[in-house]
Amino acid sequence: MEVPRRVLEIADGIRSMRIRGAGRIARSVAEALKIAALEYSGPGDERSFRRYMAYVADLLISTRPTAVSLPNAVYYVMYRLLTSSGDVEELRDTVVRVADEFIVESIEAVRRIGEIGARRIKNGSVILTHCHSTAAVSVIVTAYRMGKIVRVYSTETRPFYQGRITMRHLLEAGVPAVQIPDSAVRYVMHEVDHVIVGADTVASNGAVVNKIGTSQVALAAHEARVRVFVAAETYKFSPATVIGELVPIEFRPLEEVVPREWVEANPGVEVLNPSFDVTPPEYIDAIITEKGVIPPQAAILVLMDRFGWALSWMEHGVISFREIVK
Amino acid sequence: MLSIEELLKRHGYSIMSSGTEYTINVLDSMRDSLTSIESYKDFYRVYRSIVDRVSRERPACAQATNVLRDIGLLIVDGVENKLSIRDICSSVSERIGYWKDRIVRDCEEAAHIASHRLVDGDVVLTHSRSLCVLKAIKKARDDGKKLEFYVTESRPGMEGLVTASEISKLGYPVKLVIDSAVRFFMKDVDKVLVGAEAVAVNGAVVSKVGTSLISLIAHEARVRVFVIAPISKFNLETLFGELVELPESDWRKLMSPDILAKLPENYLARVPLYDVTPPSYIDGIATEKGLFAPQAIPVILKDVYGSWPPAVIDLDELVYKLYELTKGV
Repeated sequence: MEVPRRVLEIADGIRSMRIRGAGRIARSVAEALKIAALEYSGPGDERSFRRYMAYVADLLISTRPTAVSLPNAVYYVMYRLLTSSGDVEELRDTVVRVADEFIVESIEAVRRIGEIGARRIKNGSVILTHCHSTAAVSVIVTAYRMGKIVRVYSTETRPFYQGRITMRHLLEAGVPAVQIPDSAVRYVMHEVDHVIVGADTVASNGAVVNKIGTSQVALAAHEARVRVFVAAETYKFSPATVIGELVPIEFRPLEEVVPREWVEANPGVEVLNPSFDVTPPEYIDAIITEKGVIPPQAAILVLMDRFGWALSWMEHGVISFREIVK
Repeated sequence: MLSIEELLKRHGYSIMSSGTEYTINVLDSMRDSLTSIESYKDFYRVYRSIVDRVSRERPACAQATNVLRDIGLLIVDGVENKLSIRDICSSVSERIGYWKDRIVRDCEEAAHIASHRLVDGDVVLTHSRSLCVLKAIKKARDDGKKLEFYVTESRPGMEGLVTASEISKLGYPVKLVIDSAVRFFMKDVDKVLVGAEAVAVNGAVVSKVGTSLISLIAHEARVRVFVIAPISKFNLETLFGELVELPESDWRKLMSPDILAKLPENYLARVPLYDVTPPSYIDGIATEKGLFAPQAIPVILKDVYGSWPPAVIDLDELVYKLYELTKGV
């Protein structure tokens, strides 16, 4: 099956983490499906087109195991394709329209989360955030513009230093931000009023899978009775967890932690680099979605509402679109 | 091509000596500067400069402070009794030799006691780099214990890389993880073993930043936390309500200047170097006198110093006293 070069580039970009962050991944995937539809050059019958789109959909889903925004973006677009009828021309228009709709909605969701989340911040607050989350930054910047925030601590977030991206966004918006090493989270926690983080995946029991380190930030906050808010678009809720699937935690290459030369000089040391961890719902005070604030334990509500349809098609937590269109 | 060290420096790699190594280093430079002493006034000059150096470089290092206090008392005593410069120098030099031996011996004995807590099959997590912890692991190895280790990268500074390397060279399997991954792996860990920069009189432990977070995580997972700290690391000033001063650094501990140049102009970093682990998260402190609960420190101090509370003279006060004694001479 011939896949357009730009689609392969996006798949590769997600795999190599050139494209990262749950929101960007989701939008890139929607974009990739749109490109795939526009550049389709196969036979003119609708069955071939559906099969081709299913192939591209499965290919995109396979690029990163943990980020649920990726399959959810694919489901969003593919569900509408699967439930539409028409000739290739009409189906292609549907894919393009729905992909664009997803992209617009996801950007709009960040703004809504910023507005809703900012209301939860009290005046004169010190915020701590981990990693880089567009949704969390949106909450912080919105609250800052309302005059509510006096300082933000941003963790470096090893191994990739996504905290430096957070620093850039916050400083550009004029927010007084200070970087701290990940190990200093408990040290500064007594000054902090709210922890705000993003999410890669929200499980059906309200557990949040996010950048490695999030769960210990939440634990340190819990110890200090600091509120923890998770800013997450509804496309980050994982339908697979409803049927009991575990969220796979990706282990990434050790070169992200130490140079290969160091590893070679120390053959007795194994470097382990898990990318995500799981924060239990009891350490989370609220999840802020574009549809409103929910307690983490109510995650199932969002899931049934948005992805209830997908559950019947799911085998072992994933939908194989090639199987469906067969 | 960049060397490993140069590559690591881009991540702020900089090796800080362990508290024990630092104290030995302070003692060595004290001994070196004794040769330059020609008058009583020089005692004040030399002593003050070394006290200043410690408070600048390692204000939280209780061992260096305690040893300097002892040596300061010896000098004051010599000057007060009008002993000859040569006699004072030689008794100071002798005392330095005594402390150097004792620090290493205490570290070893405390390490041996701690090593008894490690049993076959244990998975041990350690943070930063501690001479006493390394000695405990070496002892366990010599006793033929089968152990496995998790070592944190230990930013800022990343001296965890050195620790990981040293433990693996003892023949143990080592897993190196980033500081953020401690909670992820804690369920696989049986014991946490760390060193200390200082121990406050209430049993709170000052150690490399991140230790308190690790201890909290261990506590949550019901994993035992042991600290190795010879009694010379106990901070006596805290007995009188003094807080341990915790130094902080800046971006220099996180990256090289060329990396900073790529960040926004107003980039600001706050880099604490130590933190305080509350006694409630510590299961035992291993000293040369034995392993005990952190809350039992006053009992041990009474035993060691013969009275409660032990007489403690502040270092600054000692410097001032020496100044007063030598100013007219």
